[in-house]
Amino acid sequence: MLLYIHIPFCETKCHYCAFNSYVDKFDIAEHYFRAMEKQLEFELKRFNVQKNSISSVFIGGGTPSSVDAKLYKNIFRQIEPFLVEDAEITTEANPNSTTKQWIEKMMELGVNRISFGVQSFNNDKLLFLGRTHDAIKAQDVISFAHQVGIKNISLDLLYGLVLDTPSLLEKDLDIAFSLPINHLSAYALTIEKNTPFAKRKKIVNSTLELAQIVVDGVQKRGFYQYEISNFGTYKSRHNLGYWQYKNYIGIGSGAVGFLDNKRFYPSKNPNKYIENPLQIKTEQLTLQDQHIEKIFLGLRSEVGIKKEMLTQEEQQKVALLIDEKKLTCKDKTLFNNNYFLSDEIVLFITN
Amino acid sequence: MQKNIRNFSIIAHIDHGKSTLADRLIQECGAVSAREMTAQMMDTMDIEKERGITIKAQSVRLTYVKDGEPYILNLIDTPGHVDFSYEVSRSLASSDGALLVVDASQGVEAQTIANVYIAIEHNLEIIPVINKIDLPAAEPERVKEEIEHTIGLDCSHAIDVSAKSGIGIRELLDAIVERIPAPVGDSKAPTKALIYDSWFDNYLGALALVRVYDGEIKKGQEIYVMGTKKKHEVLNLMYPHPLVLQKTPVLRTGEVGIVILGLKNVGDVKVGDTITDNRHKTATPIGGFKEVKQFVFAGIYPIETDRFEELRDALDKLKLNDASISYEPETSVALGFGFRVGFLGLLHMEVIKERLEREFDLDLIATAPTVTYKVHKTDGTILDIQNPSQLPPINEMQEIQEPYVKATVITPTDFLGNIITLLNNKRGIQQKMDYLSVNRVLLEYAIPLNEIVMDFYDKLKSMSKGYASFDYEPIGYREGDLVKLDILVAGEVVDALSIIVPRVSAQTKGRDFVKAMKEIVPRQLFEVAIQASIGNKVIARETVKSMGKNVTAKCYGGDITRKRKLLEKQKEGKKRMKSIGKVQLPQEAFLTVLKMD
Repeated sequence: MLLYIHIPFCETKCHYCAFNSYVDKFDIAEHYFRAMEKQLEFELKRFNVQKNSISSVFIGGGTPSSVDAKLYKNIFRQIEPFLVEDAEITTEANPNSTTKQWIEKMMELGVNRISFGVQSFNNDKLLFLGRTHDAIKAQDVISFAHQVGIKNISLDLLYGLVLDTPSLLEKDLDIAFSLPINHLSAYALTIEKNTPFAKRKKIVNSTLELAQIVVDGVQKRGFYQYEISNFGTYKSRHNLGYWQYKNYIGIGSGAVGFLDNKRFYPSKNPNKYIENPLQIKTEQLTLQDQHIEKIFLGLRSEVGIKKEMLTQEEQQKVALLIDEKKLTCKDKTLFNNNYFLSDEIVLFITN
Repeated sequence: MQKNIRNFSIIAHIDHGKSTLADRLIQECGAVSAREMTAQMMDTMDIEKERGITIKAQSVRLTYVKDGEPYILNLIDTPGHVDFSYEVSRSLASSDGALLVVDASQGVEAQTIANVYIAIEHNLEIIPVINKIDLPAAEPERVKEEIEHTIGLDCSHAIDVSAKSGIGIRELLDAIVERIPAPVGDSKAPTKALIYDSWFDNYLGALALVRVYDGEIKKGQEIYVMGTKKKHEVLNLMYPHPLVLQKTPVLRTGEVGIVILGLKNVGDVKVGDTITDNRHKTATPIGGFKEVKQFVFAGIYPIETDRFEELRDALDKLKLNDASISYEPETSVALGFGFRVGFLGLLHMEVIKERLEREFDLDLIATAPTVTYKVHKTDGTILDIQNPSQLPPINEMQEIQEPYVKATVITPTDFLGNIITLLNNKRGIQQKMDYLSVNRVLLEYAIPLNEIVMDFYDKLKSMSKGYASFDYEPIGYREGDLVKLDILVAGEVVDALSIIVPRVSAQTKGRDFVKAMKEIVPRQLFEVAIQASIGNKVIARETVKSMGKNVTAKCYGGDITRKRKLLEKQKEGKKRMKSIGKVQLPQEAFLTVLKMD
């Protein structure tokens, strides 16, 4: 069982961001946390959570580091009895707002992993993206976290912009790998509707060349790729859990929960969420929905897909793909040899 | 009253303003108020309005009062495109007169001539009408001379009009009443009516548009259709009108109207058939009705192979209102079950495919259009081949014959050089070159039909800036030195892509074909080889490189549904592709041959 907690607050909004986050709602933060506590109580019952069963907690956003650490206290108190002993407890953090003190307090609560939203160590690129930190700040804050004693540190990089060049990306990787991290996520920029980038032209450079530089570069420097965008000497239990199709509780506005064949969606708007955190929409997944989800999650990660779950027709297509060395079959499980083709392979198999 | 009825058609070259003139006549007679008037009233099909052409002949009944005497004018619109001359002949068969509309600035065009000959064959009274006389470039006197010179029609009583601004419309209506003869026919004789159009209406079933020659048709009457030898009860009768159909208890001698028999099958009211009374039958059916002849054939297949029966139903229904198609089931290794459909021409083929997809919600693949080849086999038998993949092995063929047409082109001299080059490239043989005036030339060529069904018309139009006009008529079969060009995709012959080409140009065609295919086939998971071969010999090859990436890097945390929906969208797009082994080909790939130079 996984638990996701959503913090919909940010100091600023980045030009590419379509996540559920707000820059002007800090005044309701306290009410928001009370509401989350209420939803959590409800979900623990709905998911019939047993002692020692939550193996991972992930605090995401928005910007979790933009709110006071003490606000998290009650939630941690609530979940404490249900956590497994060595639970992975991750928080996202923004280099700009994260203080040494905040990290220490979060550690006291139980956080043992931080994922920093760095995006780049090139100041021009950071400016272009609408990020407020600079390269030095990001390096400093990661060093702090390490000094304070956070064992598992990850950072996010973004690539696929028009101003990306091979040397810029290599330099980003060089700096990243000079820091005490054991995990890295590298995402290709995608333009989402209703973002400042969506109104502008010439933002994206989605060539294979740039993507390949990043993926090869990260692996060359010693991290193992266990999903299209995720690399490390440490693999995030939380990320893997999604791809393994595990159940997860989702707390907060804009979070998503998943139980067997249902997905849950609390109100996206934080004010509405505070009004009634238990007003949650349910999506019923058909067998066909689950089938295709298992296939695409398995093919975009090292999880793979169990051959036996495929239909006769799909297995025939798989045989073709094995012949063409697109897939590898090991222990009745199919593994994707090139994550960049995962969507195309899903379409090929399921069409 | 029979003597106050006038049945007439309008014939014209495309774009000479036929539909606009029809609209103006309708308005002048008050059948439609100015408010209800939408441009091109008689083009009711969506495709007709979008493409600005008339495909199906439509009819409308108008009332016109001259010298205090009311007259019934039945206007039968005719299509203007060269592919639809069959429909022209149908319209003319039911008329007693025709307005020959010629553009005052353009003059006589190839189609004008072709259509006038059909009208003369039907013995119609022809009124020359010079349209667009208010345009600055109008030269009505020159155009009249040209009509007299090329067609031999007396133009001293031609009517000058402008359909657009309404000039001369009254004079024209008067001329229709005065010069076109009232229908002849015996009102006391047994019912005798010609079905000159039929179509399917979702509410009323199969409808027959008839012209009554003798006697009358009454509501409730038991009629007998002479060709199908079936009797039916007349449920309702109506007069044709573009907006509202007007009910009538009876259609009298000389009248035009719609007969509703409550039939599900349009085949029961075939165009050209004769309706008579079941008890008092007329002695002989109406003859001389020209049978439709298809010139172009193509395979039509559903992308989803399990929708073959739906395609059959759709074709059956379409056939009800377009008798000019023919179809027979066929199978293809690559495409499964489908039909070999016969069309009047390439435009007709496009229109039919579009209607099948739009009106019946089907996703279809059309294969390259072809003509009917006659293959003389070594064992003395002769085969009609309409599908290149059915061509017998070389050693079993003695000779292949292909259909030729007489192509008539009229062009301003400015474009003459280019047009002659085009005709030569298309294997045309010049038979006549006649200067109509100092700067207009008429060309006559014998040319293989196959060369003109592809893209000849488009090429001619573009190289003459739209000024050259064109018409054709079949002149029989001639021997051709032809070979079958096969296309291999990923090493396998795709039978639906085979074409028949002249041996001399096979090499070039093969190269052009694979090059064009390469542009059409999207990148796939694997590298795809596209080859052209004759017999077993590969003569050209191109490679579509394999795809680099297709993935969205970010999978928003727990929102897996979002990702699934994005994938499903992509999947929808792929549905219109056809899987041939491990390769997926888009629909257009099967029409590659039309994209070649």
